[in-house]
Amino acid sequence: MDEIDLLREQASRARRLVVDMAASEVGCHLGGSLSVVDILVAAYAVARSRPGTDVVLSKGHAAAALYAVLHENGVIEENPAPRYGRAGSPYTGHPGPKVPGVRFPTGSLGHGLAYAVGWALSRRLLNLPGGAIAVVGDGELQEGLVWEALQVAQAKRVAGLTVVVDLNGGQNDGHVSDISPMTDLPARLAAFGFSVAEVDGHDIEKLVATIVPTDRPLAVLATTVKGRGVPATEGKAGSHYVKISPARARQWKAAIR
Amino acid sequence: MTTATVSAREAYRVELTELAADDSRIVCLEADLGGASHCFRDRFPDRFLNLGIAEASAVDIAVGLASAGLRPFVNTFASFAAFRAGESVKLGLGYLAAPVVLVSPYGGVSGAWFGPTHHCLEDLAVMQSLPGVRIAVPAGEAETREAIRVAAAGDWPCYVRLGRNEVFDASFAPAGRGAVTWLNQISGDTCLVSIGEKPTALCQAVTESRPDVGHAHLCWVDAESLALAIPHLAGARRVVVVEEHRPAGSVASTLALLLPDREVRGVNAGTDWPTEGGNHDETLAAMGLTTSAVLNAVLEGEK
Repeated sequence: MDEIDLLREQASRARRLVVDMAASEVGCHLGGSLSVVDILVAAYAVARSRPGTDVVLSKGHAAAALYAVLHENGVIEENPAPRYGRAGSPYTGHPGPKVPGVRFPTGSLGHGLAYAVGWALSRRLLNLPGGAIAVVGDGELQEGLVWEALQVAQAKRVAGLTVVVDLNGGQNDGHVSDISPMTDLPARLAAFGFSVAEVDGHDIEKLVATIVPTDRPLAVLATTVKGRGVPATEGKAGSHYVKISPARARQWKAAIR
Repeated sequence: MTTATVSAREAYRVELTELAADDSRIVCLEADLGGASHCFRDRFPDRFLNLGIAEASAVDIAVGLASAGLRPFVNTFASFAAFRAGESVKLGLGYLAAPVVLVSPYGGVSGAWFGPTHHCLEDLAVMQSLPGVRIAVPAGEAETREAIRVAAAGDWPCYVRLGRNEVFDASFAPAGRGAVTWLNQISGDTCLVSIGEKPTALCQAVTESRPDVGHAHLCWVDAESLALAIPHLAGARRVVVVEEHRPAGSVASTLALLLPDREVRGVNAGTDWPTEGGNHDETLAAMGLTTSAVLNAVLEGEK
């Protein structure tokens, strides 16, 4: 089995953990967590091979996916699902610095990208290797702070920065296309001075090959499906936040391939 | 005794540049309000970053730099630091406790005729509400330089509020965090506590006519620093806090909680929005922050 196959298996296990977190007492942001799993698996695979590279999940509401992938990478040793959202547990609905492997608090959208710009910039100032891979949502692109941070990144020629956009088409109140469509996104990002790549956000092999930070700020538009991996949730805006029973979780996990 | 020769803003730039010579962690971030010439940029261009008009990003980026072990100083006006970048400050300096130093001129109504968009009478309330953020309101060059040195040497987030371009001739040596500078020893029951440059000048004017009233000047005014300083106020039964701020979230309100057995009054800039022109003194006067207001507060307590 090659490395990509191992990563695919990792993603499947992570999806099952995400479903377990949806079956917690509090539920979780299931749709956006399942859409971003493959991106996170690829991002951590790239970061592992590039010392000093930090992965920042700017769309922090997909915390369940982050905890699952950090667990799969051995950064979170315990299975985070049984304690997700519970008193005394660091696994809150949006990630914070008490979680192993999490450097910045995210969830209020836009900040994670700016933190990532700062981290990537620190590599240059400290003359150290590495950079940052920021993962943002397509709904998150409606935040002004995102564009402010992109502007600063290109103006200061921040190297070693990859911004992966999880284009799952959904947001809290429905479809991005209905609420505030983000037209001509590749051209917009290119106009901000970024190299732009478009990729299937569920093709881990292509993601790993595409998201490696370079000397120039890089934006990767990763087309995904909200709720990916669980047939009952795929492509459904209603999967944004889900709380399910343990019995349903067993059914959904069994359907994950 | 020290005599000011430059404004607090310029004192900040000079002091930070001097500190950076021996501390390679220091990074100077500007958001297009550092001026066309800047001594830090001249001396350490690699560690000087004008990020443009992007205050929230500037604070977040500073948090990213601080997380890597650097010591970023971010300069932007008080209103933009406290409100435009407010959530970044809450998350980065508050929640994450990243050792970022915000240096914010245009505190209070020092922006005067520029109007309320460039005033900030609420910044101390915002910063005071964030546990762990240390707050300095220095008066004059020497105290500003000392506050910057303390901020650079520590490992905690700081907010340093400055005025605009006026040179404040503070003829006293800085006492430092947790201490008070006695500008007039107390011989009665009442002690004035001055925060910042203009309130310190008002209190100095009052004690000229009322030498029995004590005058303690404070620079570090977050609750933790105030708790360290209050033993120095032990001789005062009545405390009158004079500050260029709203009553809500004022230093007076924090001190009142720390001194439940004392009578604490506040003389402040009130609740109006100053919408007319004028210089700094005239704007303060329009808001009722005057020597007579301070004197009246003293007399009120003595009734």
